[in-house]
Amino acid sequence: MKKKGFILLVVLLVMAGAAAFMYYGYLYKEARNVSSEEADFQIPATKLLADYTANQQQADSTYLNKTIEIKGTVTQITDSVLTVNGQVFCGFDIKPGKHAINKTVTIKGRCIGFDELFGEVKLDQCTIKE
Amino acid sequence: MKNLRFILVLIILTIYNCMYAQKYTTKTGNIKFEATVPSFEEVAGENKTASAVVESSTGDIAVLALMKGFRFKVALMEEHFNENYVESDKYPKATFKGKIEGFDASKLTSEPKAYTITGDLTLHGKTKKVTDSAKISKSGNTITVTGAFEVKPGDFAIEIPSVVSKKVSDKISVTYSFSLIK
Repeated sequence: MKKKGFILLVVLLVMAGAAAFMYYGYLYKEARNVSSEEADFQIPATKLLADYTANQQQADSTYLNKTIEIKGTVTQITDSVLTVNGQVFCGFDIKPGKHAINKTVTIKGRCIGFDELFGEVKLDQCTIKE
Repeated sequence: MKNLRFILVLIILTIYNCMYAQKYTTKTGNIKFEATVPSFEEVAGENKTASAVVESSTGDIAVLALMKGFRFKVALMEEHFNENYVESDKYPKATFKGKIEGFDASKLTSEPKAYTITGDLTLHGKTKKVTDSAKISKSGNTITVTGAFEVKPGDFAIEIPSVVSKKVSDKISVTYSFSLIK
């Protein structure tokens, strides 16, 4: 009798574990955290732009959805967006602190593609690396 | 000769400047879509980095949204959206090119007025004509355009697997809001 109860307990525990795994590990797994990811590419902003202007599809297959680190000069700051080298749009989830225009920065973010309307490469979930 | 060239450059610059001044633009437009079925989990995504350009002299409007820029509350939903539904690796952007009927920037006021926008919406490699009613207002150098329309996944060759078809509405409501600056 005691043994049966033990087995039942083990079975229940395993089932609960599997359910928890399904729930947190798959169905409601945590969203990607770009800021803590290791960058796949560490390149100057000019290189990213050059690659996108040369061949958009090629560049998309290289950079799209990847975490990249770009180095460039801040050319514009509006609310939660920093523009680097005039044509790299970096969207921040958390507003970046005060950053002077013309300062050289390294920004880590996820590449979401090329915007033809403005001829810009867009990154989101950006963070500044000092 | 040198003088002439200077004048020519000046004229070109002026024309360019005039043309440029007629454009209202934003790079942080908001587009939301929702395909929630009542009493099931919320199916909704939001893009806060859509680009839009309105040509005030003609009423032409162009919008571009990068598909990867749509964010979801549930990470798995975002993954499915990108990988199975809109295939954002293959089709990274959605575009809209259309016209605001009877648009006249000088007649806009801070009171939102209704306008009809018609144009072609392209996503997932398919194009469909979309008509919707937008509210447009203006204050200072900013034009605000808001509106909503409905699309069907089938119109863009997006298949909803039968397993989840009860949980994803076959009518997707899209709402947008752009604050365009001169």
